[in-house]
Amino acid sequence: MLIYLIRRVALAVVVLFGLMIATFLIIHLVPGDPVRAVIGGNAPPAEINRIRDQLGLNQPLLTQFWHYVSHTFQGHLGQSYSLGIPVGQAIDGRIGPSAALICYALLLSVLIGFPLAIYAALHPNGLFDNIIRLGTTFMFAMPAFWLGLLLALVFGLELHWLPTSGYSGGVGGLLRTLLLPALTLGLPLATVVVRTLRSSLLEVLGSDYIDAARSRGLSMRRIVTRHALRNAVMNTLTVLSVNIGFLIGGTLVVEQVFQIPGMGSLLFGAVEKRDYQLVQAISLLAGSAVVLASLAADLLQAALDPRVRLGGR
Amino acid sequence: MRRRGPLAAAALISGLLLAACGSSGGSSNSTQKLSLQASLYGPSKAKVCQGPPVRGGTLVYSRQAATTGLNPIDPKNGNGDIFADNLIYSGLVRSNPDGSTNLEPSLAQSWTISKNGLVYTFHLRPGLKFSNGQPVTAEDVKWSLDRFGNPKINTAMSSVAVGYGTSKVINNTTIQFHLAQRETSFLYDISIFPAFILPKNLVEKEGAAFYNHPVGTGPFIVKSFVRGSHITFVRNPYYWEKGKPYLNSVRFNFVTNSDSRILALRSGAAQIMDGVPFSAIASLRKDSNINVQAAKVPLFLGLWLNHQYKPLQNLDVRKAMQYALNRQEMNQDIFHGLGQIPNSVLMGLRYNAPDSVVHPYPYDVKMAKALMAKSPYPHGFSVTLKYPAGYDYYTQLVLLMQQEYAAIGIKVKLLQEDPATNTTQWNQGAYQLIFPFASFTSDVVVPDEYADFLADWNNGLKGFFSYWRDPTIQAMVLKFKSTISDATRAQEWPKIQQALMNQTPVINVMDLPFVNAHSATTCGTDIDALGSDHLEDTWIAKGKS
Repeated sequence: MLIYLIRRVALAVVVLFGLMIATFLIIHLVPGDPVRAVIGGNAPPAEINRIRDQLGLNQPLLTQFWHYVSHTFQGHLGQSYSLGIPVGQAIDGRIGPSAALICYALLLSVLIGFPLAIYAALHPNGLFDNIIRLGTTFMFAMPAFWLGLLLALVFGLELHWLPTSGYSGGVGGLLRTLLLPALTLGLPLATVVVRTLRSSLLEVLGSDYIDAARSRGLSMRRIVTRHALRNAVMNTLTVLSVNIGFLIGGTLVVEQVFQIPGMGSLLFGAVEKRDYQLVQAISLLAGSAVVLASLAADLLQAALDPRVRLGGR
Repeated sequence: MRRRGPLAAAALISGLLLAACGSSGGSSNSTQKLSLQASLYGPSKAKVCQGPPVRGGTLVYSRQAATTGLNPIDPKNGNGDIFADNLIYSGLVRSNPDGSTNLEPSLAQSWTISKNGLVYTFHLRPGLKFSNGQPVTAEDVKWSLDRFGNPKINTAMSSVAVGYGTSKVINNTTIQFHLAQRETSFLYDISIFPAFILPKNLVEKEGAAFYNHPVGTGPFIVKSFVRGSHITFVRNPYYWEKGKPYLNSVRFNFVTNSDSRILALRSGAAQIMDGVPFSAIASLRKDSNINVQAAKVPLFLGLWLNHQYKPLQNLDVRKAMQYALNRQEMNQDIFHGLGQIPNSVLMGLRYNAPDSVVHPYPYDVKMAKALMAKSPYPHGFSVTLKYPAGYDYYTQLVLLMQQEYAAIGIKVKLLQEDPATNTTQWNQGAYQLIFPFASFTSDVVVPDEYADFLADWNNGLKGFFSYWRDPTIQAMVLKFKSTISDATRAQEWPKIQQALMNQTPVINVMDLPFVNAHSATTCGTDIDALGSDHLEDTWIAKGKS
């Protein structure tokens, strides 16, 4: 298990370094000047150049990359030019809302997905099974901004149950203001949960040991919760961990629609303004979150399934 | 707020979908459209707004551009920062809240200008105080304006500070400015944000930290600022206009998505929103609880022509491109009649002559074809038109233009780019035709700024990146900029306006207004000629509209 852990951590470090290179290259090579994006097109070219020199933007790309890597390892994320404050200060306070949104979305996807998947698996090809599969496919196909606006329209404007946009802290505020955004992110993921779990459950419920359990007179509820689910959930865990990236990426659109002051909306603004330091820092943070989530899921799987530890899967 | 049934909800969803897809839906009745245009301008005319202003209440403003900082001399996010600065700080003079291009006294109650136009003497109002209660002195004014005139501090707006020389405190309430060269637009230049008056002692003591809890002379004080979410202001008890502001507090919610802003306004979560998409105007007008307001501002759809591209160097080609545009159709179908057909290559500015004096280019395909036939390109040519992504009206506009130019033999290839890329390509001259900005506005209402950008080759901006040069027009502009008499400027500018129309180095496709919407019980929503809200005049009526 220890060797497995060391191998996975080493791989994670390599992945993160690759992410740093990719992000740096992409944001620097995309057309657009960060200084002009902030101070406008009519500033004198000499002044633009002076500020670019000050920010080190006229240095060779390799030199800039070296500074980026060395400063990052020292914990210096740099200054956000578009906001005029340190990157750390810009990010601090924005992580909470995004993390809350992602966790809430994950929770909702499980709370909605699991019961639907179990019901569908226990009544395969029935009316409700088909309705569930069709409904979840429709949810998956809808673009996030459209789904979000629809939810805001119905539950915010028409029914006045929830706010149409905005964010409040505290437990009550979070639960209330993040419900619609979390549903927007979580419903497509619930589709994935329903599909994979239903499929895995159907396979597991057809196994010999389940037949044996049935023949011993165990209730279906006990069979599903104590025996079938534990084996069937592995694939779903894998899929959920892979989709953490989808959730993080989805915050970019959802935070814009619902005006959540999170990392997604911060990144959106940073890309618009070509704020290199901020884009690099947020991308690295997001990448680290994905890698860590993936690592946690792998470790959980290894803990649950010895075959994974021994490299048999 | 009235409840609506499911059918109405479906209609609204469809409306939002259409807005998202960028379709337009104007009718073809010109009389109806003129009525639409006339009734859209101006604040709420609801009965509850006819009485005297009501003191109190909180106004929630759903804003499209987020505030990222509160340093008026270094706004990082354009109007997002500037409109917040307008609430916190004031200048010596200001744009008239009635929307005219006149200036009126602000912190200065009067001023004189020397005969040679080089010395300006300002007299501050007696008893002026900053929002922390400390007096405003001439020394604060001198210090603030010296920063305005220093291009190393005033980087973003150094172009409006050209000609600033030195300052001198005469006494505690009198200050004098000596310009290095005659710049007749000086009063307009100091009416805007980089010339706002700050407390010298506090900024020097606190540095950048000052802007976390700024002190100013504006109608409001910052109470809390949550980046990415909102900023809340409360009434400044020391504000110089007695009895104002009427509102207890104002909250700017940063809502960059236009559909979300509309939902917030409709649900009552916000009382006012800016950046109303043209495609949503008809739908909003159907709601009797909402008033749509359009303010005339120096905003235009400026199509830039790169004169390094040979076909665009030809005057007949450029004129043909003007005649080929059906601006009436564009205005009705895309801008719902709210646009104004321009008679200038630049945006609508003070001193612009009326249509009867400087005629707009009419839609005349026959004339356009005749000009193309006369030009070195009788069979037309190919050209690429770049435009910013994310704006439904640009997408509709360029498709229309592509068809109209195809009719005269100009094959237009459309290239949509993200706004930052688009502007950079314009700065680098890496374009043939381009709409360089999503929102192309002048910072001042007088023509000096943009006329200089375009026509003065010595400013280093290469004809504002059009690479067009005309020494005759350049000389006219430089002379205009140093003309002292307002009456003489009013005579000189139309000649320049006509000369620019004759040469048409760039094309003004349409003049556009700022379009806001607010609840019908939000009264006194004055917007000045630069599009700034004068929230010190705004109040929330009690009762229903």
